[in-house]
Amino acid sequence: MICSDLECFTGLGALRSVSMGCACKAIPPIGEHVMSMVMTKAKPDNKVKDALDNIRAAAQQLHGAISDAAAKRGGAVKADLETASSKAKALAESAKAAIGGQNEATKKHLTEAVTKLEATQKHAAESVKSSGEAFQTSIKKVVADARAAVQKISEAVAAKRSAASKHK
Amino acid sequence: MRNYVAVVFNNTSKAYEALHALWQLDDGMEITVHGTAVVHRDDLGYFQVDSKETHPALATAVGVGVGALLGALAGPAGAAVGAAGGAAIGAAAGGSAGLIADANRADTRDEAAAEAGFVLGYGQAAVIADVSEDWTTAIDTRMRELGGTVYRRARSAVEDNIWYNDPDLYPYDYYLYPYEYIPPAYAI
Repeated sequence: MICSDLECFTGLGALRSVSMGCACKAIPPIGEHVMSMVMTKAKPDNKVKDALDNIRAAAQQLHGAISDAAAKRGGAVKADLETASSKAKALAESAKAAIGGQNEATKKHLTEAVTKLEATQKHAAESVKSSGEAFQTSIKKVVADARAAVQKISEAVAAKRSAASKHK
Repeated sequence: MRNYVAVVFNNTSKAYEALHALWQLDDGMEITVHGTAVVHRDDLGYFQVDSKETHPALATAVGVGVGALLGALAGPAGAAVGAAGGAAIGAAAGGSAGLIADANRADTRDEAAAEAGFVLGYGQAAVIADVSEDWTTAIDTRMRELGGTVYRRARSAVEDNIWYNDPDLYPYDYYLYPYEYIPPAYAI
């Protein structure tokens, strides 16, 4: 199932093949002793989703869609890869736009994510034009690039959250 | 701090509840989850890694990578066994990859603790996760509520083992789903 708001954000709804959890209410930790209660109270209260969270969710969907597409056969794969290529390009642009104003660690991870997204776009476009063994090699690269992009964006999110918690 | 976390449960359904709970903690910005998978061990001692039925090639890769990761979580002694076991995985069937090697040879909790702590007993299941956490309380508390036992290993320690940078394997975390994936049979 795809979150409706993410479809609006990314247009990934067109791929219709990703199964992911949507935003759910967080269950606050319940401390069993004094120290954990103190730590729970000290945790950051900045629970507002921002552009970076949306970019991460979109990248997660892109990876799911690409890995699902890789399992298909025939022309359907290439159609999905064409869509994925354009989504990766759009996502790279969104990630670039989100770099400004971030802390250094977040910027570094996002910059790396942009590189991986651009590689995803490039390899997906190449996959569409290839066939046989070259296609199989190419599609493995697309899946790996998309996975790496999600990883880098998650690291950017973690760096941002960590910095925010230290400023509280 | 970046950690690999293994949370052991007595059944697979509970492990998927825990997987869902981890992503909820991420959604609430308590932690950041980079990837998760559920591994279960049947009554004969075989390991299985659940993966999407739609891409068996990836299922095999997941089995190989997670096999190595299981070994790494068991400590230096387990790393070689886990990676070798992972590499021995055959083609995936029915969305699962069977892991034949006994990545955690200790049969009792005490023996496992002497090695590194993590053990997956017969009939048990574990959520394996790559997480960033500023404090351990969020995961520990929630997993305890669900009846799980939490084991951690710093990612930096895992990266030090020789299998991590094996050119034939991607880093372990590539085999963990970077989003919440729960097979239909365990849908919550």
